[in-house]
Amino acid sequence: MAKATPSNPWTKPAGRPVVGKPVPRPVRSADVQAYIPEIVKGLGITMRHFFKNTKEMVLGQKPDPVLHSLEPGVTTISYPEEKRPYPERFRGIHRLTLRDDNSPRCVACLCCSTACPAQCIAIEPAEYPEGDRRQGYERYPSSFVIDELRCVFCGYCVEACPVDAIRMDTGLHAVPYDSREQFIYRRDLLMSLSDREGSRLTANRRHEPGDPTHPGLSREAADH
Amino acid sequence: MPTIKIDGREIPFESGDTIIRAAHRAGIDIPHYCWHPGLSVAANCRMCLVEVLPPPGRPAMSLDILRWDAAKQDYVPAAKPKLQPACQMACASGMEVLSDGSDHVSEARSAVQELLLLNHPVDCPICDQAGECRLQDYWLEHQRKGKRMHQEPVHKPKAVTFGPTIVYDAERCIVCTRCIRVCNELAQDPVLSVRERGNLGEITVSPGRELDHNYTLMTEHVCPVGALTSRDFRFKARVWFLRSARTICQGCATGCNAYLDYDPRNNTPYRHRPRENMAVNTYWMCDDGMLSYRHAVDGRLLTALVGNDDASIEDALAAAKEQLGGHADDPSRVAIVLSAQHSNEDNFALYHLATTYLGATDFFVSGRPLGQGDDILISEDKNPNTRGAVQIAAVTPPRPVAELLQGIASGQYAYVVALGSDLEVDAGEAQRALSRLKGVVTIAAHEGPLAKAARVALPACSWAEAEGTYVNRKGLAQRSERALLPHGDARPAWELIGRLGRTLGYETGWKTLAELRRAMPPGAVAGAGAPAAVLGAAPPAHTAAATAVADGSRVEPKKTEATA
Repeated sequence: MAKATPSNPWTKPAGRPVVGKPVPRPVRSADVQAYIPEIVKGLGITMRHFFKNTKEMVLGQKPDPVLHSLEPGVTTISYPEEKRPYPERFRGIHRLTLRDDNSPRCVACLCCSTACPAQCIAIEPAEYPEGDRRQGYERYPSSFVIDELRCVFCGYCVEACPVDAIRMDTGLHAVPYDSREQFIYRRDLLMSLSDREGSRLTANRRHEPGDPTHPGLSREAADH
Repeated sequence: MPTIKIDGREIPFESGDTIIRAAHRAGIDIPHYCWHPGLSVAANCRMCLVEVLPPPGRPAMSLDILRWDAAKQDYVPAAKPKLQPACQMACASGMEVLSDGSDHVSEARSAVQELLLLNHPVDCPICDQAGECRLQDYWLEHQRKGKRMHQEPVHKPKAVTFGPTIVYDAERCIVCTRCIRVCNELAQDPVLSVRERGNLGEITVSPGRELDHNYTLMTEHVCPVGALTSRDFRFKARVWFLRSARTICQGCATGCNAYLDYDPRNNTPYRHRPRENMAVNTYWMCDDGMLSYRHAVDGRLLTALVGNDDASIEDALAAAKEQLGGHADDPSRVAIVLSAQHSNEDNFALYHLATTYLGATDFFVSGRPLGQGDDILISEDKNPNTRGAVQIAAVTPPRPVAELLQGIASGQYAYVVALGSDLEVDAGEAQRALSRLKGVVTIAAHEGPLAKAARVALPACSWAEAEGTYVNRKGLAQRSERALLPHGDARPAWELIGRLGRTLGYETGWKTLAELRRAMPPGAVAGAGAPAAVLGAAPPAHTAAATAVADGSRVEPKKTEATA
């Protein structure tokens, strides 16, 4: 006897009508059918929030937005005037930190652009001019460009930097601009940004050539 | 052939081999800093220590030591075998060597590595060697521990200028003396030496001297760490962004094998490195050759020129047709100038066009004038393919350009089709002579006297932008790979010649490089798919490099990369 072909589960079984799952119908009571009472109920909720918000705004009683956001319900922050406080380690727009003499700390080692998964950092290294005490030791970025549109704010550049020259502690997030060109942050702009305390340096001191702690003294000047 | 066993693997050796050389030839890597296959043995870095097992029935040479016992919290007497430097220990038949397989060896390597890094500044981010540094590689392979010394490291001079090409950083130096041996043995100019001892050791230049011989960049090339840096490459690029193409040095007729390191993102070459080929340059290249990579992009002819004005290639080809109008009436009035600067492919394209279609019979060869040579690598002939160009036109031997000028003066020629941009004769004289002609067309990669004198100049690819075969002074045909994309409007010279032929109304048969190569005589093309290159009558022994460089002259077939 030939084996019966197994029925295809995806097709309608022959001969039987399709039985669907019964869905409960909405209540068709008189007040629902009348529509007006429900409108009034909804407007009531809206007006309650309206008066509450107006009162809080007028009296300056708005609760802390972070704590408030933990409560159930929707929190409204009037954004440009009012800003959500960012956590301490928030990764914002980059800045280039400075040395004491306001030159960039960056030594153009390209570690950040190597680490960058979005490939948004472009650096052109240059050598310090003849006569500069750093000439021959280090180089500096003659051009340092970050495309903030491409940046994914992962912070790898900060991790990779061996001299603490790039940081993301400005507390700024990328602002909506009206052209792409404005998202291209160049060296001077990056150097002009400061951390949230307003400092353009970092807490980590640098050892400059000529400092007693800097590697690179002649043997005569060292104690051995 | 007698054999030794390294970690249980049997490898053959030749008489006089050291363990590391036999291992190197067999492809076994024994870590080392101071040993270099082309230099004499110094055995001062101690990185290549291996355990040599005693002959059967004999006790091992062992040292009594105290080893820390963590359980007893005390030192206990122990013994360990006396390790031997693999770079200095000669092979003996049946010798058994433990390298990676011995815990004593691993411990010794880790300890040596820690010692070498004790006073190292670890300034990898600003060091140009980072990415190709032995200290980095071997730290990862053999140490993998943090630094235990917390005292201030020894400070030594940094950024010392050794000469016009080399800058020295004593803090990064591990005093392996490779650079000293390069100066002594390769360049025959003992200008470097070690000063002080122990952790104060550093390399110095002889008083009153500079590091200024012809092989200074080889000191930087052999430096396993970032102590010696080339002023040319210093601070220019990070090596992990670079890609390498196997090229042939264009500096002279020696045809040294090289790697051209370039950044594909900005299509820029950054440096040359010698590529090992025991039949040509062994491990070395001269300074001029190392710096000749710049000619791949410097002084280039980037657009077609018609009467010294920029033009598109189409316009230039149309102008070339006009220039050469009437050449078919009297083919004997056409002179063809081949170029010793261009590859066999380019020269063959022009030769083929001239003989098959133009009917020309007079061939000349142009190139850079003769220069200084030496007994080590540098050839007096400063053209990479003189021999190739002459071989291509062997039926009608090409003559020097000086004879072309005589021919022009006597009114023999009316048309010149030339390849290349350099002339070995006086540029002004050539320009005056060529200006008297009816039609002068050149295909040139660089702006030179020939390109200037031509009414129509077509922009050809430089050697780094096109594949090509070059025949060196010994008759060895070698292939050079393409590294860069063409700059400007440049196209490969053979392609321009083909288009020129089609513009003139001839059906030049090849449109791709493969088609062209099939049309070429065997032996004029090197590399895959081509018959073995003609190895001329010249003896394979490279004259002085072999004798100068202690025992690096031995031909090592496994390592030889001759494209022949």
